[in-house]
Amino acid sequence: MKALFLGNVAADTYEGIKGELPPSLDCVILNDPVDRSALPEAARDADILVSNRWMADYPPAPHFRLVQSVATGVELIDLAALPKGCAVCNSFGHETAIAEYVVMAMLALHHRFFQISGEFRERGSWSTSWVQSGTPHGEVRGSTLGIVGYGRVGREVARRAAPFGCRILAANRSPRENDSDVERIYPLSGLDEMLPLCDTVAICTALGPETTGLINARRLGLMKPGAFLINIARGQVIDEDALYAALSEGRLGGAAIDVWWQYPSPNEPNRRGSRHPFHELPNVIVTPHNSGWTSGMVRRRWDEIADNIGRFCRGDSLINLVTTA
Amino acid sequence: MKVSFVGNFGARPEVSKAILAKVTEKIEPTVLYDIGDSQRLIPALAEAEIVVSHIWKKDFPPAPRLKFLQSPAAGLDLIDLPSLPAGVTICNVDGHEQAIAEYCLMTMLALSHKLVDIATAFRDQSNWSGGGAGGGPLHGEILGKTVGIVGYGKIGRETAKRAAAFGCNVIAANRSPVADTGDAAEIYPLAELDRMLPRCDVVVIAAGLGPETRGLIDAGRLALMKPTALLINIGRALICDEEALFAALKDNKIGGAALDVWWRYPSPAEPNARPSHLPFHELPNVLMTPHCSSATDGARERRLGGVARNIDLYVRGEALRNVVMTTS
Repeated sequence: MKALFLGNVAADTYEGIKGELPPSLDCVILNDPVDRSALPEAARDADILVSNRWMADYPPAPHFRLVQSVATGVELIDLAALPKGCAVCNSFGHETAIAEYVVMAMLALHHRFFQISGEFRERGSWSTSWVQSGTPHGEVRGSTLGIVGYGRVGREVARRAAPFGCRILAANRSPRENDSDVERIYPLSGLDEMLPLCDTVAICTALGPETTGLINARRLGLMKPGAFLINIARGQVIDEDALYAALSEGRLGGAAIDVWWQYPSPNEPNRRGSRHPFHELPNVIVTPHNSGWTSGMVRRRWDEIADNIGRFCRGDSLINLVTTA
Repeated sequence: MKVSFVGNFGARPEVSKAILAKVTEKIEPTVLYDIGDSQRLIPALAEAEIVVSHIWKKDFPPAPRLKFLQSPAAGLDLIDLPSLPAGVTICNVDGHEQAIAEYCLMTMLALSHKLVDIATAFRDQSNWSGGGAGGGPLHGEILGKTVGIVGYGKIGRETAKRAAAFGCNVIAANRSPVADTGDAAEIYPLAELDRMLPRCDVVVIAAGLGPETRGLIDAGRLALMKPTALLINIGRALICDEEALFAALKDNKIGGAALDVWWRYPSPAEPNARPSHLPFHELPNVLMTPHCSSATDGARERRLGGVARNIDLYVRGEALRNVVMTTS
């Protein structure tokens, strides 16, 4: 049995799990997917591919029976380029880390944490303190959180937000059973009914035809004045121009944005995430698509991948099966 | 019934007005912001049966009719108990514990996730190295981490409840025995704090200031903490040794800190006073806020409402809430 680990994330994964792999498994590690010289030889007789990428113009891989993605999204794996019957599995482990980010961002926005701690550090300003008659900031207790997309991440958010005394609502494309953390789960078509109730809206949905451009100018207009928006999903779920307008005109109270409309490239490593200067707005927390990028996430993901490779080698049923080519 | 609102908290206009607006019984209020104004302080204390103040100084004039001292704050460390007449019931307020617990979770998350560093580098330099295209340095998380709470009162319990939902292992240390452990897996007596500290990834100081806690977190105890451990202080600054904490943070003997309470406070002459004689604000591993963890709109409503309710209860001769003690 032979496994090909392709790309830098797969190479790191190999280092993390090599002790857990079956000793009989023959592993080939190709760190650089752009360097195609060694790829034909490595792909020719491999049974397992560990990577987040397999493109149409890659060399023949007639023996692939398992493609184990090192990410959740498998949009860079071209099913047509895989042999028929090859299983494609993805990996998780990020949902708890992202849920931590969502609750952290919600707290920081309501508590005006960046403004208060920044002014105190830089200028010694006590003006937000009760000591100096400051204006109170907000708290999340008693506020309403609306979770758009009630999947793995959304559920982990709800579980953590519930003991803060938040009222929690959710909207999901497909029907979901109610759980004890959520007061009501709306269908996505009921989103317009949910948005006006929320003090915080957290976008936790996947990107798809139903969610591209979902949060547009009209829906932003349905949100409470002063409400906060958190996006850890994909930039394209939100209309870029409409969000910038709502924030810069002060109609929304603030936002935490982790996912963007444009990304860096080798030529432009410091490219801004948007054509609008979101980073200049005082009420916006900006992070570089790393809400789930924690050491714990990597360990959990590695464990899942090692588990699945072991299952494949033993002929047991696979976990995290996305599809079969 | 004569009620005096005294000092720069209870007599602050927005505080005293908000309380008075909630009081339903008939009272005769006096409001005196400046406790240095002895010409007005003498009559204000001479006649009042109720005083609303977070402060009572040794040299305060006599208060022969005083029966009920209501603090608009939780901590009574600025009240000089021996200077009060006998038979005075002292009450504090709660309603801040939920807000402070939010602060504790927010800061333990922000320190673990390196939120301020990552967001600042992304804002200022569009630095994607923490993620974006995949890869880059990893940050931390709180799932599975051990959170040790020093002082397991209302704030400690509210913090434990929230941290438990994040999958933290919560332990605590308390001066007096705790019957209901709530969300804490284990409670140490305060005398055995040295056994708890080495276990903790996060230490939350949620104790009041008293003889047992003053200087509790000294150089020796900071050295017992893990080199990666985070310290959050929302109790009182004097629980931590100022020099020892600065040194531990500067030399990376602990991982970082979030500090809301301080060794120095502003005065009218120095409104932007630095909160320590040491430059904590220059340390990259410190989050700092101006004693505002409880300064939320919700906590203010709950606290001022609690003061007003107690005034009403006293006037009606009913049992007071949040009684801390009666002076002898």
